[in-house]
Amino acid sequence: MSKAILTDVTKCIGCLKCVSACKQVHNLEMDVPRIWDRNDGLSAENWTSVIRRPGDHYVRKQCRHCLEPACASVCPVGALHKTEIGAVTYDITKCLGCRYCMMACPFGIPRYDWDKTVPHVEKCILCYDRIKTGQQPACTEACPVGATIFGDRDELLEVAHKRIKENPAKYIDKVWGEHEVGGTSVLYLSDIYLDFLTYPTRPGDKPLPKETAAAMESVPFAFVGMGGAMLGLNWIIRRRMKMDKERGNKKESADE
Amino acid sequence: MNRVQNTKLILWFLTGFAAAVALNRYVFGLGVTTNLSDRTPWGFWIGFDVMAGVALAAGGFVTTAIFYIMKREECHPMVKPAVLTAFLGYLAVVAGLLVDLGLPWNIWHMIIYWNPHSPLFEVGWCVMLYTTVLLLEFSPVPLEKFSRYARIRDFLMKFRFPLVLLGIMLSTLHQSSLGTLFLIMRYRLYPLWYSHILPVEFFISAVALGLMMVAFESLASHWLYRREPETHLVAKLCRAAAWVLAIYFVAKMTDITVSGKLGLIFDGKWQSNLFIVEVLVSTIIPAALFFVPKYRGNNKVQWIGSSMVVIGMVLNRIDVGGLAMLDSTASYTPSWMEIAISLGVVSAAVLVFLFAIENFHVWDIRPEDPESLPHTLPSFDYSSRTWLGIPSVASLTKHTLAFVLSFALGMALMSGNRLHAEGIDQITVKPATVVDSLCDTLCINGNRDDQFVEFSHEGHISRIGKDSCRVCHHLSLPGDKLSSCWECHTSMYKEVDFFKHDWHTSASGANLRCDDCHTPGVTRTAQSAKKCTACHPAYKFLADEKNATEKYYIPSYVDAMHKLCVSCHTVEAKKVKDKPNLAQCSTCHRIGTPPELKAGMKWDVTLPHFDNVVLPDVGQAGK
Repeated sequence: MSKAILTDVTKCIGCLKCVSACKQVHNLEMDVPRIWDRNDGLSAENWTSVIRRPGDHYVRKQCRHCLEPACASVCPVGALHKTEIGAVTYDITKCLGCRYCMMACPFGIPRYDWDKTVPHVEKCILCYDRIKTGQQPACTEACPVGATIFGDRDELLEVAHKRIKENPAKYIDKVWGEHEVGGTSVLYLSDIYLDFLTYPTRPGDKPLPKETAAAMESVPFAFVGMGGAMLGLNWIIRRRMKMDKERGNKKESADE
Repeated sequence: MNRVQNTKLILWFLTGFAAAVALNRYVFGLGVTTNLSDRTPWGFWIGFDVMAGVALAAGGFVTTAIFYIMKREECHPMVKPAVLTAFLGYLAVVAGLLVDLGLPWNIWHMIIYWNPHSPLFEVGWCVMLYTTVLLLEFSPVPLEKFSRYARIRDFLMKFRFPLVLLGIMLSTLHQSSLGTLFLIMRYRLYPLWYSHILPVEFFISAVALGLMMVAFESLASHWLYRREPETHLVAKLCRAAAWVLAIYFVAKMTDITVSGKLGLIFDGKWQSNLFIVEVLVSTIIPAALFFVPKYRGNNKVQWIGSSMVVIGMVLNRIDVGGLAMLDSTASYTPSWMEIAISLGVVSAAVLVFLFAIENFHVWDIRPEDPESLPHTLPSFDYSSRTWLGIPSVASLTKHTLAFVLSFALGMALMSGNRLHAEGIDQITVKPATVVDSLCDTLCINGNRDDQFVEFSHEGHISRIGKDSCRVCHHLSLPGDKLSSCWECHTSMYKEVDFFKHDWHTSASGANLRCDDCHTPGVTRTAQSAKKCTACHPAYKFLADEKNATEKYYIPSYVDAMHKLCVSCHTVEAKKVKDKPNLAQCSTCHRIGTPPELKAGMKWDVTLPHFDNVVLPDVGQAGK
């Protein structure tokens, strides 16, 4: 039973109540304008933001909680973890600060406490503590217009397709997050294209951890193979040297 | 002066400089030291210290493979220095990582928390194990000096072959896995560098670079100690490297051709030009040089060719490790502090290398450093009648001086806090024209983003007091005529306390001592301190119910921006029958209002901050 969030861009009014609720629930510190802001509103102290697009469009950005998250697959200590309930959580006690997750995330979500001496990775955790106890995330609870809603992923997908079916003129016939990078737990319905949420080169529908899987699976073979090849080479060379030596000895004895 | 001594002087200088910067990094954090950002979480340190560092240390496994596996006895003089270089290279990588990692004291976590899916996990383990293997491979050399450790030395010598084999196997893994790291960033890495065979390319290029690094190191150290260069041996390395480079080039070009990226090379973008330069310097030119027997036997050409491969391959690792990222390069150039640390780490490694070859049996004939020999330096200067110190220590004083001087220079160059160094321009102010009744209201460009907000000047004066103009005007910032709204309304969404402790204690602020506010002898808390009104009688305070103290609450940024409009609307809305619910953002900030409704509105206002706000229609009810 995987939980998810569905955000309907056509309904969002850009009131930022979700951002406010998120900051209060997670006790995030205040924002100070900084040079390392990515200008999408997300920062170490802002786990969700609302991006204003031309026309009356407000797009809420947050962690997409991929079904097969790249961040969790690359973390060398498993500090990032996809829970069964759907949230990708972060364990600060394990993290060693390599920031590989930030490099690997196709949506550029994880942020870093650059100004702290003991920095951590900061990102939306789908209010894991709240949804575990049956509550809904702070952001969906705070939304005054129901633009962003919480529920089972399958049900939300049905809702999304139903909305498109009922109002095909209003929506683009696509649920963002249904197939992208193998599916995400944060879904979007929209009347504008949401490609700006990812990198210029689209990640596509293939789950990103699959990109490294082949190389990682061949590691034991490379290890043993290299060892075997080196031993074999050594054996051949030694044998050849030995034979050369014997031949030399024979020659010498023949000469005598 | 002595060539060795001068080189060491420079190296000590660079090391001292880096030590100062490293101190800064650990005290103030990565944000102040580096130009890294959320856009570019990996920068110069990963590209140079880690990626290039590991590749440069490939000489260790390549040389041991040639000597122990392929039984090329003539390579013997190269083995010990190459293993030493590799060992120090890996130590330098770890040192670089300890600076780059956000939580370096957790570096050992990879041992207990496992994630076998992660290429970095694999690289981490391999580096850990291989560094240990290198230590065991090299330790017989220094142990030779101490006869009581002979048994340990003999024991290690017995296991030499399995150790070498294990070292080669581990190197194969992590040299290639450094390429695997980037396989997941297809959308991030420029297509010319991204390839599914990146791990293979990394391995082949590491072998070539390893060969050339051994050659380069041999040339450089022999030049340094004025010894006869090992031209004949280096030529053999060059011949092998030429073949490996050729294989690398063919593999790379085949991959680019097969995946249809050939056109990208010549499209004139800066990335394409960088790629051409990189391949020319690292592969084509040196391979072409070294395929000609006449050239590869020439000492000068060996110098040129090997340094080209070293520079070119380091460039390749830096490119893959960050420079050729699609999204990031525009905003990132390494800060001087990042470069200083990298140089310092390399310098320290070279210093240890020089120490080792002078003191241990790394080379067949140990080099003689004229100044380090006691008898060449007098311990007493008869002309000035001064005691010069024990010669071996006296020659070190220069190095100590270089280290201390550069450390001091580094400390002096470090700016206090770069975070606050961003300049702030003047705020534009104009009177509000929309509502005549609010005559004290100004429209100010509060956030310097050319989006004006309504601002009640009188309201602020009544709260903070008439004599407190400087709270907003001239907030002790040079060149600042007015403070930004956010300097007091610091939090976007939360109510905050106005009191700034740091400002009150800092020399550039109020410059107060602890006892100026806190009662001496009592634990220093908010309660034991003076009330704000003792110094600022004009302030109007709210009582903090929890702590029974006075606090000046500053509304959040969003509330501050909305207050004036919403409060006025609340008054106006009382006269309206169907009151719009002004507590709801969506009442005003809604979208998709039909044009016919817009046409009938009395207040045809576009709010400054949200240009597409639609105000509720209050006109019909009349005033």
